[in-house]
Amino acid sequence: MNRTLDKKLHPEWLLRIFGIAFFAYLFFGFMLLPCLNTLASVFRAKNPDGTDAGPFAVIQFFLAGKMSKNIWNSLKLAVCLVITVNVVGVSIVLLTEYFDIKGAKILRMGYMTTMIYSGVALVTGYMFLYAGDGMLTAALKNAFPDFNGEWFSGFNAVLFTMTFACTSNHMLFLRNAIRGIDYNTVEAARNMGANPFKVLWKVVLPTLIPTLFSLTVMTFITGLCAMSAPTLLGYDSINPEIVRLAGSSSVDEAFPQARAALLSIILAMFTIVLLTVLSAYECKGHYLSVSKTKAKLQKQKITNPVANVLAHIYAYILFIIYMTPVVMIIVFSFQNYSAIRARRLDFSGWTLINFFGTQDYTYLNDRGREKTVVGAISGVFSNEKTLGGIKLSFLLSAAAAALACVIVVVACNYIFKKKNKKSGLILEYAMLFPWLLPTILICYSYRTYFNSNDIWYVGYQNLYYKENVRLLIIMAYTVTKLPFSLRMIKASFYSIDEELEDAARNLGSGGLRTFMRVKLPIILPSVLAVFALNFNALFTEYDMSYTFHKPEGTTYAMVIQGMLADATRGSNMNALGRRCASTVFIMVVSGLVLYLVYGVGSRDLGDRLEIRDRRRKRMEALRARFRKAEKTESA
Amino acid sequence: MIRLNDIVVKFGDFTALHDINVHVKEGEFFTFLGPSGCGKTTTLRTITGFIEPVSGTVVVKDRDITHVPIEDRNIGIVFQSYALFPTMTVYDNIAFGLKIKKMKKQEIDQKVREIARKVDLSDEQLKKAVSQLSGGQQQRVAIARALVTGPAIICMDEPLSNLDAKLRVQLRNELKKMQKEFGITTIYVTHDQEEALTLSDRIAVFNKGYIEQIGTPNEVYNFSKTEFVCNFIGDINRLSDETVAAVNAAGGQLDPARHNYVRLERLHVNVEPKPGQAALDGTVTMREYYGLYIKYYIDLGSQSIKVIEKNDGVRIYEEGQQVQVILDPADVMAYEPSGENEVEK
Repeated sequence: MNRTLDKKLHPEWLLRIFGIAFFAYLFFGFMLLPCLNTLASVFRAKNPDGTDAGPFAVIQFFLAGKMSKNIWNSLKLAVCLVITVNVVGVSIVLLTEYFDIKGAKILRMGYMTTMIYSGVALVTGYMFLYAGDGMLTAALKNAFPDFNGEWFSGFNAVLFTMTFACTSNHMLFLRNAIRGIDYNTVEAARNMGANPFKVLWKVVLPTLIPTLFSLTVMTFITGLCAMSAPTLLGYDSINPEIVRLAGSSSVDEAFPQARAALLSIILAMFTIVLLTVLSAYECKGHYLSVSKTKAKLQKQKITNPVANVLAHIYAYILFIIYMTPVVMIIVFSFQNYSAIRARRLDFSGWTLINFFGTQDYTYLNDRGREKTVVGAISGVFSNEKTLGGIKLSFLLSAAAAALACVIVVVACNYIFKKKNKKSGLILEYAMLFPWLLPTILICYSYRTYFNSNDIWYVGYQNLYYKENVRLLIIMAYTVTKLPFSLRMIKASFYSIDEELEDAARNLGSGGLRTFMRVKLPIILPSVLAVFALNFNALFTEYDMSYTFHKPEGTTYAMVIQGMLADATRGSNMNALGRRCASTVFIMVVSGLVLYLVYGVGSRDLGDRLEIRDRRRKRMEALRARFRKAEKTESA
Repeated sequence: MIRLNDIVVKFGDFTALHDINVHVKEGEFFTFLGPSGCGKTTTLRTITGFIEPVSGTVVVKDRDITHVPIEDRNIGIVFQSYALFPTMTVYDNIAFGLKIKKMKKQEIDQKVREIARKVDLSDEQLKKAVSQLSGGQQQRVAIARALVTGPAIICMDEPLSNLDAKLRVQLRNELKKMQKEFGITTIYVTHDQEEALTLSDRIAVFNKGYIEQIGTPNEVYNFSKTEFVCNFIGDINRLSDETVAAVNAAGGQLDPARHNYVRLERLHVNVEPKPGQAALDGTVTMREYYGLYIKYYIDLGSQSIKVIEKNDGVRIYEEGQQVQVILDPADVMAYEPSGENEVEK
């Protein structure tokens, strides 16, 4: 009896109870209950007079109104994106990895720019060039007066922008897949008489089909759940409509909340079906290379001269499309407000004002009097509002990214301990649950469910009220990042040799010490990488910020969006320049994060010691040279 | 020193070890040998404490350690993968166990350097990451780490299996030398019979969770107790009924009802038979050239028999050549047919 009690009071046992309670709280409190509430709200819809409307009234209204149009628009976008993104994505990967194209390294850099800026930063960047008053459109209008200056709006603009914005996954995954091809298979096909295009079609592409299928499903979901491009470029798709309805009241229109809930449920159903199809497909297994001595893929020369020239032209046109916004944004971030407003480069107008410092703006009013607006021109790091957004986003993203990592590391440790047991599997599925739900459903559910004082498990606090919304944003950020973090960190747990744990135990190490001293250092680079990638994604995150948007929760993405409006007012003269500077800042931060993750983070202890050794030797050589120089001088 | 008494280990319904009884003497190099899945690693892990037996006891120096926690058993282990901590330097790897024992820094340093010297690791290598070392050096680190805490026994789980052939032979010799120097009781697990024969003082041959034979290398090789052992260790010829009859006709006393085996190196080609030896006529059908020796496949009519001859440049036979195989009935090992103990080759 006493032994059992002792066992129960053991710290590890208490820790396990605490862990179970925490994960149950997280799953039920922040995943299941808010979403179930959204589902139930369809059935609880009320008429403006307060009477119950019932679900059929909502569905009837839904079908009669323009709601179905939103769904069709989203589907249209998703289908078109699958085609355009795959065409561009496959092209850029083949052009940089498979075919021998001159300048492939530079081309690759250009194609990869979407990895350092995305979402609202990318869309506003494209708008800067292509919108009605955009640089390129204006130039085209000047050259061709009949050119439709408003071409960059609605469906066209969204499709164009997202086609080039959504190829990052192709550059990551398809590139890896193509690099994994055993070159001997290509040589074997050539040896048997196949021409290069036949080899591509019959040998190379079939091995890429599993990856392409996954990318297609992911692109479809991205199109369906698109938020920033449709919102900013004016396209009536599902997500912007959900957010609009969430902010609407039954005084203005019929059952806005219930309709928003219905839309998010429809979106969730689409996502669940697609992901089920994807995982069923993935379960069938991939084409694994059976080769034990894999040969590195060598670039294929396009032997037909016409095809070769056309391929080069195509590659560089794509490069220009990818690079123009980046170059223009960087260049104009260093231009003064008048040059930016005129969308014309002023070679005497270089300035850092869009980044640092403030200036007054003086102008002549209608009566011919000179007026000065104090501090109307300010840089990203001097403008209170922008800086506030950066700070808030920094804190919220860092907190959420760290929280997601800690939760997932603890969860993975448990999952691996209970690898063959049900409890491990349950925890894994619980952590993957948010993957099934579109972000908008989670955010909308949070916004409606926690916007009350009745939720006991959050201490009867309204989490959507004033500053509390920040906590809600952190939770939403964390929960939506759990599936990605789990997949990545779980993969790193597989790299831990099971014998290491046995070795540590054999040397007398307890469970906690083994975890802290042996396992954690091994997975730490991956954990830090996941933290950095999460932070990167959340720092300029738009979809959730837009859903939770209110003065106390104005994140960086919302500040950037605000600059679109500011730019049209006279009181904030360089909002456009600051927008460019903001995008440059985001590119620098993202670039730095990616460098840290893939450059520094991928080094193991041996590499680090070697680098330290080389640095020490360089310093010693330098010192010796100084000493020698001193001696010669004194002599 | 170590006694395993009636050890039974089960994984669910599957019995991995059936009544294992072993007695390892102090300072002995004792090898568990057997094919994959025979229970040798399970026995080792039972000794080290990673597996708790369903019944039976593990006794070390007259102390029952069957239920003693792993860390309190004072048994060092060298893993198949070496299990060196990749995020620590060589020094930190070796010092890990000492730090857990909360020894003073100076004492740790002294012990680490002492053991490093013994296993031939330089001060420069101590500063390196384990990934910067070669396979052989990594093995030395693993041994140093296992020995530094002063264990009574050291267990090695196929420590040479992930090295290339040449290094394996080189390190095998070093391992034996080190064991002699340290004088530590060693339990060694391997599926490589050559390794077992060259390294061990005694060998326990495992099969399907049972021990088939315990003995010195000479005993298990030349006096294999079971048909499985004689088949598993080294290459061997099973004599056909016709060959047995031919041997008996020449004065042999082989029992045709039993399974009769003879080792390859015990047969000779084209030499003068001594009294009692049988001379069997055959044709060379194939030869395998190994450099040090040549293996001939000789068709005796009723069976093909393998013979090894030293590559001394004198007795070289061509394919198709008529030869005489000389067999001494005293070299034949005979077993009651059971069918169960044969090993798939």
